[in-house]
Amino acid sequence: MGQLSTPSDAGLIDINRQGSARRVRLSLKTRESLMAYIFLAPFLFFFFVFVLRSVVFGGWISLHRWPILAPDKGYVAFNNYVSLMNDSLWWTALQNTVVFAALTVAGTTVLSLLAALALNRPLPGQSFFRILFYMPSLLSVSVVAIAWSWLLNTDFGIINYGLQLLGLPKVNWTGDANLVLITLSLVTIWWGFGFPTLVFLAGLRGIPEPLYEAAKIDGAGGWALFWYITLPLLRPTLLFVTVTGFISHFQVFGQPYLMTNQGGPGRASFTVIMYIFQTAWRFFNLGYASAMALTLAAILMILTLIQFRFGGRRVEY
Amino acid sequence: MKKQVLFLSLLALLAVFVVALPIAAQDPTPTPMPVPSATPALGSFGQGGTQISFVNGLSGSDGVTLNGMIEQFVQENPDISVQTETIVWDTMYQRLQASLVAGDAPDVVVMHVWALPQYASIGGLLPLNDWIGTGEGQIDPANFTPLALENASFGGTIYGLPLDFHGFGTYVNNDLFEAAGLDPSQPPQTYEEYVEMATALTLDANGNNPDDPNFDPTNVVQWGTTTSWMRVVFLSALAQNGGRNISDDGTTVQIDTEAGRAALQAMYDLIYTHRVAPPPAGFDNWQSFAAGRIGIMPEGSWFRNFATIDNPQLNWTPWPMVPLGEEPAVWMSSHLFAVPVTTTGAQLEAVRRFVTWLSDNNIAWADSGQIPARLDAQAALAPETYPSNIQFAEAFNAHGVYDYPALGWPEMVARLDAELDAVLNGQKSVEQGLADAQQQMQEILARTG
Amino acid sequence: MATIPTTGRSMAAGRGGQILGNVIFFAILLIVALLIIFPIVMMALQSFQTNQTLYRWPPTVITTEPTLVNWQNLLTRDDLRLPRWIFNSVFVATTQTVVVLFVASLAAYAFARLNFPLKTPLFFLLLLTVMIPQQVLLIPNYLTLRDVGLLGTYGSLIWPGVANVFAVFLLRQFFQSIPRDLEEAAILDGASRFGVYWRIVLPLSVSALVALGIFVFLANWNDLFWPLIVTTDLDMRTLPVGLSILNGTYGPQERGLVLAGALFSTIPVLIVYTIFQRWILKGVSITGGLGGR
Repeated sequence: MGQLSTPSDAGLIDINRQGSARRVRLSLKTRESLMAYIFLAPFLFFFFVFVLRSVVFGGWISLHRWPILAPDKGYVAFNNYVSLMNDSLWWTALQNTVVFAALTVAGTTVLSLLAALALNRPLPGQSFFRILFYMPSLLSVSVVAIAWSWLLNTDFGIINYGLQLLGLPKVNWTGDANLVLITLSLVTIWWGFGFPTLVFLAGLRGIPEPLYEAAKIDGAGGWALFWYITLPLLRPTLLFVTVTGFISHFQVFGQPYLMTNQGGPGRASFTVIMYIFQTAWRFFNLGYASAMALTLAAILMILTLIQFRFGGRRVEY
Repeated sequence: MKKQVLFLSLLALLAVFVVALPIAAQDPTPTPMPVPSATPALGSFGQGGTQISFVNGLSGSDGVTLNGMIEQFVQENPDISVQTETIVWDTMYQRLQASLVAGDAPDVVVMHVWALPQYASIGGLLPLNDWIGTGEGQIDPANFTPLALENASFGGTIYGLPLDFHGFGTYVNNDLFEAAGLDPSQPPQTYEEYVEMATALTLDANGNNPDDPNFDPTNVVQWGTTTSWMRVVFLSALAQNGGRNISDDGTTVQIDTEAGRAALQAMYDLIYTHRVAPPPAGFDNWQSFAAGRIGIMPEGSWFRNFATIDNPQLNWTPWPMVPLGEEPAVWMSSHLFAVPVTTTGAQLEAVRRFVTWLSDNNIAWADSGQIPARLDAQAALAPETYPSNIQFAEAFNAHGVYDYPALGWPEMVARLDAELDAVLNGQKSVEQGLADAQQQMQEILARTG
Repeated sequence: MATIPTTGRSMAAGRGGQILGNVIFFAILLIVALLIIFPIVMMALQSFQTNQTLYRWPPTVITTEPTLVNWQNLLTRDDLRLPRWIFNSVFVATTQTVVVLFVASLAAYAFARLNFPLKTPLFFLLLLTVMIPQQVLLIPNYLTLRDVGLLGTYGSLIWPGVANVFAVFLLRQFFQSIPRDLEEAAILDGASRFGVYWRIVLPLSVSALVALGIFVFLANWNDLFWPLIVTTDLDMRTLPVGLSILNGTYGPQERGLVLAGALFSTIPVLIVYTIFQRWILKGVSITGGLGGR
């Protein structure tokens, strides 16, 4: 308290000697609180302006007819949500998104687990593979889309040429309504499987070796080891990979925006985020778009909770 | 260390193998494909002190024509310089809206008739009524058809100056016609005649026509016709069957009607009953026509340059339209010059001179394949250079059908496109597709007014 | 007792299986590696071709007449702002990363080490919002930025992402794992709270900060949606948006140019990655590990 030099403060201490100790303790606590809020201030500022306020504001917008530039912002209560429930395009977009996310998460999980198992073995070139596998994640979605659209081009693409060499017919990768989500999913798996691979690898390295030794002594083979030790012990990692994967792939935008002419053919690859984008930034209708965004948020939360419920049981070591 | 070397060489070997495989099997005489030319995304014209920014979506060969006109303009108006930004339409509209919101909109833009209500209704555009009139420095309204000016207006106020008419015509391949023993100078007058011609022009790998019992629909090498850009062919067919997209009072969508069903059924039958047109998914109309694999192709006026400049080997004839109904009718639209409200002062004055100059020199725009909006320019077109422009202009003036200028039309079109796509790719029945489109579009119409 | 011979046999079989397994897994690694290299190699090879050879069937992989024209155009043509887009992307992503790390680590330190009123409710509030997807915030944030006149500026690309709740959680968790002794000793020596945070806690957390930084950087670097809607000027576009415009405008007409542009734009990332790959991979494992626990 060496800085207390103003007469009034000094006087205060002099006059009330008995309370002095308590006062100092109090001000220490206050100072810590003050310090904490100074530390928090920048974050809280941004948090308030761009998150908290925006959530509330978004909810408010969703209850209105809110054309972006026009002055009339009519209050419509829950009409936007009611319209949404009756909007066949919303359901189409939702269905596409769920299919895409499920395919991508499943494919990514299998591939990255395989890759991690392989990388966890004493094989040559490990670090090289590790570096390489994470590399596609560094590419921006535009690069990925440009590269793959051309490879997958029906008439001039090298992949169809390869198929032809094998005696197979040309495939209309992004033009066939039944195939387009699978195509986008494959490209996305290629793009993003590196991160889960590294996460799985970290998980695998965390499994205590003695567990395997013990099981081997009991006569367990490779499959049994994987099935009864590796997989159960990886469950938290698995949960992390699938939950985060699902959330991020549910918000897919760039791949259909760039690769399938904005969600085509027809609506076969039209996703929820594309619909929000179109509604807000092509058709000016912010109210409806906000209702979609909030509904999307609710869906994601429910899905996450379900995944935790079924996958999150504590693992006994 | 040895291991590493071994591994790396193995990897290199595999990589070489993967790359070498296709090369080894390379066809010695590959067939190159023509591609349409592009316009640079940014352009800077002139050194003048008054700088105007001009944004448009004419990113194909039409933008090259436009840039040539701008070059001429700045030579004649050395005090003005023009900065152009030419990006695909979709990005252009999104950019326009975002910049209106942000308050840094370009000084002048080109937009479509269908987009005008959206921007005019939110007060984003400057009224241009006093640019048009019979006074000094004004553009004489007699230079435009009443329909053209009406479609450049919103709520009775003129917000756009028509640059052109563009719309759907038809291009036929003379060589294929001659090979099939047909005369390309005689367009069909009825749907039946159209189908008959298209049947004669459709060939499978063994040279059989669709009416031959041995016809192999999975191995067609030459198509009689195509459903092309489905929406505008459908809207043309709708009008040919006596229908219109929205009722005249603007309250009812009229897609799921007798006329609508007849129109879509006619298109559907081309693909699945008469087997003279390909299922549209993944079918590249332009490349196929250029490669001589389509006999009769309905396509936009903007196809001209691809057919003449990029593919000089093509021997083609323009038709005004193909019959998909009883009455002659063809979908059309216009590109409009529009001025965002944020343009003021010296910029606004320069923009006015710029737009007026482009209008007065409208005839140069015919090089883009489109039809100049000015009637005096249309009258001055040379028949030997601009056969398609002249043919299409006649059709547009006599039988052209604009989209109904509803505020929510762009949003409705997105729904219509998807349903047409589903129907014509065999995922939905004609009735179902139209009913679904009708319901969604009506909802949007009710919402947007 | 009978287990001994069984074990012997299974171990022999196990060794055979081990080798077979190694071969299979190595094959998997090789195939995956080739699949990753293939599109990038193709992009490189075809960027030296003109449309004349690209739009051909069968496709040309290695042309007998390679051309530099795409690369020349890419670097010299006035309407292609690739260097500018790369600069924008690098600048925006780097700035945001630095700001996020600073702001989030300050907040995380408060949550990890300091006591203050409303600490628990505040933390709970953050916890609630971490589940909210970005999409909900886009429209309100867009309007906010319009109201303060920031649309189309670097600020509009940087500030909305600064409130990164995930980063606060991660760093708080990490800070809590650091022993308190050092900090307490420093405080006894008269160091300020900020001094402790700056001189002791941050240096001890470099690995976590790097890990987090990579995620923040990559998320920003790869984002297409937000910069697509907040920027309008061609000079303010970020790389993903610029490339998407390049692809949309020149896609069919100048395929080689677009491929060259895509490849060129990845070169800076690949260089940085090659230099710092050890750090990056370690960081990824740490974050993934923290999340996976």
